[in-house]
Amino acid sequence: MLFSEAATGGALTFVPFSPSGGTGCLVYPGSQGLNELNFHSVELQHHRGGSSALTSSSDRFSFQLKGPIRQISSASLFNNCCVAVRSDHLCGIWSFSDGVEPRLLQVVDTREVATCVSASPHVLGEVLVASESGAVNLWTVGKGMQKVREDNSNLFFNATSPWRWCEFSAHPRVMVYADRTGAELTDMRMNPFSGHALFRISSTAECRRGERLILSRYLGDAHSFHHLVTTHLSAYVVDERFPCVPMLKWDHMMQSAPLFCHVLPGSASSDSGAGGARSTKVVLGSHSSQEITLLQYSGGRAEACFSRGPPQALLRPRDSLGHLPVQIPHRLDVATHRLSSAAAGLTCVEQKGEGSDCLCVLQLTEAGDIFYQILEPEQPDDDKASSRLPAALDDEQTATSERRNAEHIAPYSLSVAEDTSSDNSMIGPTQHLSAPMFVAETPERERRAEVTSSDSDDWVPGRKRRILQSLGLRVVVNDDSEPDYASGSEEGAEDGTKGGAKADDAEKPCSVEERVRSSRSLAPIDSSEPSLSTVTLVTWKRWLQKLMRKSRDKKLRPRRSQNITTTTKGLLRLPADRKRDSTEDELVRSVRRDLRTCMSDRSLLLRGAVSSSLAALDPVPLPDTVDTDAWSDPLSRRLTLSWQGGEEVWRAWWADEMGLNRAEKERALRRKRRREKEAKRATGRRLELSGSFTTSCSYQSDLDSICGPIGWSSMASQETLSDAEGAGRRQWECGTTRAAYRPPVVLSDALVATPTATPVNDRRGDQRSPSIKSLSQMVKPVITPANQRSRRLTQDALLALQDERSQLNVDPPEQLSFPTRNLGVGLSGRAPLRASVSQWLSLSQGSQGRPGPASQAKKRKSRMGF
Amino acid sequence: MDDTGRELRPLEDPEDDCYSSSSDDTPENGFHQSTRICLEYIREAMLHHRWQEAAEYMACYPQMLEDTSFGYTDISDLVWRLSTEILHHHPNSNMDDYNSIYERMKHSGFKHYLKISLEHSFHLLLHGHIVDAKRQLLTTASWRYGKEQAVQHQKAKLIHAYRSLLDYILWCDKKVSNSDPGKESCDIQEKNNNFRQASVNLKEIVRNPGVWDPFILSYVEMLEFYKDHKEALSVLNDYAYDNNFPPNPNAHVYLYQYLKRHDAPEKKLLKVLKILHVSVPSHELMLEYSSLLLQSGKLKESDIQKAFRIIVEMLDFACWRSNLDVWNSLKAIIQKLKSQKDWRKVVHAEMAGRKDWWPVLHFTSFHASKDSDENPDLMEVKASLINVLCPGETVYIRVLSSDVKQLVINKQFERLKRNWQLKVLFPCTELTWKYFIY
Repeated sequence: MLFSEAATGGALTFVPFSPSGGTGCLVYPGSQGLNELNFHSVELQHHRGGSSALTSSSDRFSFQLKGPIRQISSASLFNNCCVAVRSDHLCGIWSFSDGVEPRLLQVVDTREVATCVSASPHVLGEVLVASESGAVNLWTVGKGMQKVREDNSNLFFNATSPWRWCEFSAHPRVMVYADRTGAELTDMRMNPFSGHALFRISSTAECRRGERLILSRYLGDAHSFHHLVTTHLSAYVVDERFPCVPMLKWDHMMQSAPLFCHVLPGSASSDSGAGGARSTKVVLGSHSSQEITLLQYSGGRAEACFSRGPPQALLRPRDSLGHLPVQIPHRLDVATHRLSSAAAGLTCVEQKGEGSDCLCVLQLTEAGDIFYQILEPEQPDDDKASSRLPAALDDEQTATSERRNAEHIAPYSLSVAEDTSSDNSMIGPTQHLSAPMFVAETPERERRAEVTSSDSDDWVPGRKRRILQSLGLRVVVNDDSEPDYASGSEEGAEDGTKGGAKADDAEKPCSVEERVRSSRSLAPIDSSEPSLSTVTLVTWKRWLQKLMRKSRDKKLRPRRSQNITTTTKGLLRLPADRKRDSTEDELVRSVRRDLRTCMSDRSLLLRGAVSSSLAALDPVPLPDTVDTDAWSDPLSRRLTLSWQGGEEVWRAWWADEMGLNRAEKERALRRKRRREKEAKRATGRRLELSGSFTTSCSYQSDLDSICGPIGWSSMASQETLSDAEGAGRRQWECGTTRAAYRPPVVLSDALVATPTATPVNDRRGDQRSPSIKSLSQMVKPVITPANQRSRRLTQDALLALQDERSQLNVDPPEQLSFPTRNLGVGLSGRAPLRASVSQWLSLSQGSQGRPGPASQAKKRKSRMGF
Repeated sequence: MDDTGRELRPLEDPEDDCYSSSSDDTPENGFHQSTRICLEYIREAMLHHRWQEAAEYMACYPQMLEDTSFGYTDISDLVWRLSTEILHHHPNSNMDDYNSIYERMKHSGFKHYLKISLEHSFHLLLHGHIVDAKRQLLTTASWRYGKEQAVQHQKAKLIHAYRSLLDYILWCDKKVSNSDPGKESCDIQEKNNNFRQASVNLKEIVRNPGVWDPFILSYVEMLEFYKDHKEALSVLNDYAYDNNFPPNPNAHVYLYQYLKRHDAPEKKLLKVLKILHVSVPSHELMLEYSSLLLQSGKLKESDIQKAFRIIVEMLDFACWRSNLDVWNSLKAIIQKLKSQKDWRKVVHAEMAGRKDWWPVLHFTSFHASKDSDENPDLMEVKASLINVLCPGETVYIRVLSSDVKQLVINKQFERLKRNWQLKVLFPCTELTWKYFIY
C-alpha cells in the first residue's frame, strides 16, 4: 500500500481572515489519535531579509471527535467560514468567522465509509459527501442529505476501486464526480443522474497506461472554470468548458502519488504591472514519502495556460536532520522516526504585501506534528531588473525564465517548525528561547537542565506531566541558483528568531532557525558546512529533549503498570478502640500454650483441643451448591465447565460452540454409525458369513466347472443351502469337504496379515456379493432333503469360524475383499495351498473383471440393500 | 486501492523505467549501479533547482549511451530530456550548447528524430530565430526512415502544421512591412509564396480531427486577407460542426466572430450562439445573445423568455455574480417581460428550481454589505429585482431597506454609505446565520 486512500484531501486547513492573508485560523486535528479538532488563530510574521515565523495566539478551540479526522475541507465567503470535517463514518460542519468562536452546526452519520467531503464555495452550509458505495449526497445544513448521484461501478472502466471524490464547480448545482478512472461533470438537478466526461484516464492526452486519478480539486480561486486533476505521474489543469482537453500538463515527478493539494491563486495577467503576473501556485503533497512539490503556472484567461518552470521539491521534515548536529544513535532513531511519520495534510499561508510576499507551507504528519517552511520570492530587485531585460536580450526564453525565477518562490528560506499536539497541558505563556539551556547527555542531566530553565520560564507547574510540546525547528536553507544574485544576497549568518513559542499547546510552531548557507560559489555541490545559529541549536536541543523524555515515558509506562503496589498499611490492624478484657487475654494465652504443646508434640492443633477455651464459632453456612442444570445459557454452561474440568474442557466447549470440531464430530458420528451397523450385521452374521463362504466356494465351483468334476458344484450348492436350513453337517467330515473348506482358513490367515482392511476394498466386496447371490440362485433348484444333515454340519463349522473372525473385528465384506497382494504374502509359507489359492485368486479377479449382465443388475440391487 | 497500488508500482518513477525493465534481465554491475546513483543525484538536484550541480552530474551521465545492455532509445530519450531541461534553466547556457545537444541527440537514434526536431524548432522559435526554425522544420519534413509508422505519421502532421504556422508568421511580418507604400514587388511575391505554402498545408491539416485553434485562426486570417470568404467560412463551419472533431466551444466563437465581422444576418448569428449556449452557458457572448434576442425585429414573447433564461443562467456562475452589466440586462429583460400577461408565471417557472439556493447565492446580508461597499449601483439593481426573483426573501432588503429609502428620499448617496458602514460594523448575528437555519 503506497498511500492511505482515506487521507486523501488532507486534514489541515488554513482560513485567512485578512485580505493580505497573513492572519487566519488554522484548523487541524490534534491529540494522539488525531481525533480532536482544533481551531487556532495563527499569524505569519514576515520581514524581508529578517526573520519569519508563524506565531499562534492563545485562543484555541478544541472539539473531541469520535474517530480520527481524515479530511478537513473549508470554504469561506465574506469572512464567514464553513469547515466540513470527515472521519470514517461521521461528518460534521462547523462555522466560524473572525472573532466568532467556532460552533458545530450539524453532524451526520454516514452508513458507508465516507471518502470525501467538499464544502461549497458558493453557498455556505452546503457540503458534498461521497461515500464508498458510489453515492454522493448534497448535505445542506438544516435540511439534511439529498442524494445527487449514485454509481455502483467505476466511471469509464472497471478499476475495482470504491474510492469516490466530488468537488463543486463554477455552477453551484454542477459537481465534479471523480473516481480512479476519471472525472465527470454532473448536474445535481438532473434525474436520472447523468454526466459528461471532464477527464478520462485513457483518452486524455498522453495519459500513460495504468495511471489512476488521485485527486481532483476545483481551482475556483484561481480561475472559476479550472480544475486540477492529479494522477500518479502528472498534474493537469482542465477547463470545465472544454472538457477532456487539458489546458496544461506537468509531470510532477513525485515518487508517490500526491494526496494533498493547496492552490494559491495568482493575480490575473491583466494587472501584471511592474513585476509581471504572479503565477498561480499549486502545492502538492504526498502521503508516506512526505514529498512536497511546488508547481507554478499562469495564463488561462487572455493567454493560454503555461507552466512556469519545472516542478520544485520543497524540504521534507525528515530532510532537516541532515542539517542538524549529529546525535547519538538512539536519539537519532527516535527523532528520525518521529520526523518520518507519514504526512496527513498540507496547507499554505500566503502573505501578500508590498515587498514582503512570502509563502508558508505547513505540513501535518500522522504523529500530529505540524511543520512549516517559509518561502520567499527571489530578490525583487533582480526581478525588476530582469523584467527590464527581455527587450535587451531579445531572447524570449531567457526572459521568461528570468521572470520566472524572479517571480517564483525559491526555496530560499525554508523553515521547519515542529510541534506536537499531543496533550493539553499548559506551558507557561512566556517561554524564552533565550533561556540558558544545557545539552543534556544523560537523562538526569536533562532533567536538571529543565529545572534550571524552568526558573526563567514558568513551566514548573505541570512539568512532570508535560509531554512534548511546542518545539520547533526551523531550518533555513539558503541556496541560490543564480550566481548573479548571489553576491548581493549575502546575509548575516544568523538570525535566530524565535518563533512563536507559544505557550499553549500543541500547535505552536516554534522556532529555531537555522540558516544553512550554501555558498553557491563555484563549488556547486555545496557541501559547505551549514552554520547553525545558537538559537537554532538551543531549540533543537529542547525539542529533542522533550521528544526523548516522551519516548522514555512511553517505555516506562508499561513497566510501571506491571508493579502495582497496593498500600496495605491500615487495612489489617487490630481494632484499637475496643479494650481487651482480661478473660480474652487469658483465652489468647491458653490458645498459645496449646499451640506450643502441639508443636512440640508435632501433633495437630485440633479444634477439640482448644474449643474449651474458645467460644463456639458460628458455622458459616455453605453456599448452596449451584445446580448447573438450572443454568442453561451458554455463559453459565461455559462457566460450569471451566469450574469443573479446567482448561481442556473449557477449550473443548469453545471448539464445540464455534463449530471448530464439526469435521471431527462428523467423523465420530460416522464411526459410531458404522459400529452400529456392524452390530446389526453381527446379529445376522450367519447369513453374511456363509455368504462369504459361499463366495469362496463359488469360485471354487467355477474352477470346478472348468476342471470338470461335478461333485464340487453340488457341494457348493449344499453349502449355500446350509445357510438357510442349518443342516448338512455330515458332509464336512469327508475329505473333499475339507478341501473345500480350506479357502475360509486361508481367508482368516490373510486377515491376520492385514488386520485393517482399507476402505477401497469396500467396493470390491460389493462387487463380489452379487456373484454370490447369483450363484446361490443358480443352485437353489438343486436342493434336496437328503443334504440336510450335511448342511447342519457346515453351519457348525461356520460358527466356529465366525468366532475366530469376530475376534478380528473386521467387516465380513471387507474380509472377503482383502488385497490380493497380502493374500500372497500370507500364504507364502504354505506351498501346498498356494496353487489352489492362486487359482482361486485368478478366478476371483476374473469374475471381478468381467461381471456378466446379470450380475450387473444384481449389483445395483445388492448395493441398495447394503 | 490495491489495484491502484499494483498498477502504480512499475510506473513509480518515470525516469527509472529503463532500469527497472532491463535490470530484471541482467544483473546490475558496478557501472550500472553508479549510473543509477548518478541519475538519482541528477533528479534530486533538478527537483531542488540546483542546476549547476545537475549539470555536473549530467556531464558524466551520457556514458550510459555507450552501454549497449540497456534499451538504447530509452536512454537517449532520457539523456535528451534531462540535458535540455538543465540547459533551459542553467544560468550559463547558450544557444550553441542547445544546438549541439539537439543535433547530437537527434542523430543518436531514429525513433526520436521527429520529436527532437520539433522541439528544436520550438526552441529556436522561442528565441526568435524564426527563419532557422523554419529551415529546421523543412529539413525534418523531408526526413524519412523506413516505413512510416502511426506515431511518425502523427508527428509528421504536427511538423507540417508548425511549418505552415511559421509561414504564416513570416507572412504577417511581410504584411506589416508591406503596408508601407513604395516597397518592392518581390516582397509581395514572397508574401504570396508564404501564403500559398501555408494554405496548402493548413488546408490538409485542419481536416484531421483535433483542436487546431491557432492554426485555424491564422488560416482564416490569411484567407480573409485574400478575400476568399467562401473557403474561410467552410473551414470554420467544418471546424465547428464536424462531428469527428472533439466538441470545441472555441470553434463556435470563431465562427460567430467571423460572421459578425462580415455582417451576417442576425438569424445566422443567433443560430451559432444558440449552439454555443448549449455547451457553454456561462460564455460572455451570452450577453450578446440575449441582447440580440431582444433586438430582433419583431419581438416575440418567447424570445424575451429565452433571454431571461439565458441571463438567469449566467448569474448562476461564480464569475458573473457581481457583474453589473449582467444584472442590468436582467433588469431590462424583466421590465420587458412585465408587459406580458403571465410574466409572473414565467419567472416563477424559471426560478422554481433555484429557490433553494439563489437567495443564498445573491441576496444574503453579506452580499448586501459587500455590494454596498464595492458597487452601490449593483446593490441598487439587485435590490430592485429581489421581489421579482425571490419573493419573500427579505434579508438583503431588510439590511438595505432603510438605506434604500434614504436613497430614494434624500438622494444622498454618501450618507447612505455611511449608514451602511455602521450596519457592517454591527451586523445582526441572527441575520448573519439566518441562511443556515432557514
